[in-house]
Amino acid sequence: MATARKSRGESLLLRYLVLGGWALVCLLPILWFLSIGFRPRTEVITPQPIYWPTFSLDAWHLLVSDWPIAQYLRNSVIAVVGSVIIDLILAIPAAYALSRYEFKGREDIGFYILSTRMMAPAIVAVPIFFLFKTMGLLDSVWALMLIYAAINLSLVTWIIRSYMLDIPKELEDAARTDGAGDLTILREIIVPACLPGIITAAVIAAIFAINEFLFTLLIASTSNAYTMSVALANFTGGSDGIIYNAIALVSFIAFVPILILVILIQKHLSRGLTMGAVKG
Amino acid sequence: MRTDAPPVPAGGVASATPNRSGTPPRRRSPALRKAFPYLLLAPAMIYLLVITLYPGLFAIYQSLFVVKFVNWTWTGFGNYALILKDREFWAALGNTALIGGISLAVQTVIALAIAYFAYRDPLIRGWRIVFLMPMLFMPSAVAFIWKLAFNDGRVISDLLIRLGLTGGNVDWLASVWLARMELIVADVWQWTPFLFIIFVAALQGQDQEIEEAARLDGASWPKIFWNISLPMMRPVIVVAVTLRGIDITTMFTNVFVMTQGTPGGATETMSYFIYRQGFRMFNFGYASAASVLMLVLTIIIAQTVVKRAFHSGKK
Repeated sequence: MATARKSRGESLLLRYLVLGGWALVCLLPILWFLSIGFRPRTEVITPQPIYWPTFSLDAWHLLVSDWPIAQYLRNSVIAVVGSVIIDLILAIPAAYALSRYEFKGREDIGFYILSTRMMAPAIVAVPIFFLFKTMGLLDSVWALMLIYAAINLSLVTWIIRSYMLDIPKELEDAARTDGAGDLTILREIIVPACLPGIITAAVIAAIFAINEFLFTLLIASTSNAYTMSVALANFTGGSDGIIYNAIALVSFIAFVPILILVILIQKHLSRGLTMGAVKG
Repeated sequence: MRTDAPPVPAGGVASATPNRSGTPPRRRSPALRKAFPYLLLAPAMIYLLVITLYPGLFAIYQSLFVVKFVNWTWTGFGNYALILKDREFWAALGNTALIGGISLAVQTVIALAIAYFAYRDPLIRGWRIVFLMPMLFMPSAVAFIWKLAFNDGRVISDLLIRLGLTGGNVDWLASVWLARMELIVADVWQWTPFLFIIFVAALQGQDQEIEEAARLDGASWPKIFWNISLPMMRPVIVVAVTLRGIDITTMFTNVFVMTQGTPGGATETMSYFIYRQGFRMFNFGYASAASVLMLVLTIIIAQTVVKRAFHSGKK
């Protein structure tokens, strides 16, 4: 007993050193970046870094007057929400088939869907660029919506499939003997029962879509299609150099809703991030 | 930990009706029954095939031409012959493996350590939110945070000077290894949370009694961690590290914002190489050839490592 308590005491000090240390590593850059967003531009890039800047809303005024920030936000929202809806419409039936039916090639089809997640965006960047060019979809939010949906479809399908596998078979057998058809069962029983999985999948897909950079960079060329993520890189252009305080502010505007979404699905996060492979 | 158990509506339903599983009473032709799962899968499959198979075939086709804007000149395997002799291509491949490998190793170790110390802590909910935060910034934002901290704002140099670790400003982009380190720091900072979240869930889900018994036997915590926790987490670690590893090999945003491949291509990753060849130098045929080679590599990795990881992870 004495030894047990001793070893516990030692590891407690070590524990808080490690955890506290890493918490500082996580938080200090964020706090410092927040301070960048609320300081005048003259205090961002200086010979000596300024740690206690004067408070200023310069960046905010710049965003509102010089940049169509509302337009970027609107583009992000349309493309992201649209892509998640497309994903759910395509993925729910697919996940239902993969989790509930025995058929030839099930494993291979499932793995093919999973493997599309592994394709580096750069591999398909050139062809996709030409595809949208011939379709006349360059620089449009619709192209972004389609591409985000494609990027996340594998992930959404696998997460929902994992949650559907957990639903006891008796539940649908009972409904089936009552005369319900397959699609009725999917709509009335399966979907409500795996709603946490569907929400988790939607949130994670939304985050990846908001973050998407390479395709958006190639497809969007004006404020018609610029999203928050790529608009950041846009603040580097021109004779003004990189407008860091505006970048910081936009980063936090995108950060807050993501933080809220993630807190909502906290318990399901590990399962979602591993596409259902790890049940947390 | 399985708080996500599906709500069972009216638990009596299952037992109230006779259970005749496997004999659906609906009249439906056998052919349709057989085709039904395929019909459910068809929309998703068609979508994915259009967005992956079409680009794959297009890339293979385009890689056989020298593309100068609208002029396509047949070159056969000319692009491939050039690319296999291109030192920049091999450098990009090497950089991707090197930067990705180091970054992955570092974030795995950190994530394991903080997960092990955090999962039994009473403040775990708080730690989780704090440790998660870097991951919730847009990758482009994170790239700018570190670009400012290292290069433009000279904050890291300043802190090092104050600590007496360096005499003057460090030019991070002038040195091969310091430039690579910038990319590694940004990636580790942003993505350690990904592994941490998964590892904590795995640790919380494991059987606590074995560990408790070992502790009562007087085993020290490193021993418990090494001999009990780590082996139990193995399948989870494999899945999580595989997923993270795949994402690391596609590293683009940080390179694009922070280093643009400098100095002398020492930080150019495969993704950036393809982007530069295609969209900066407009060698689309050449970029497509590089894409095809990377695709082949991806398929090999997917068929070997990933397939195995996901099969062991399911059990």
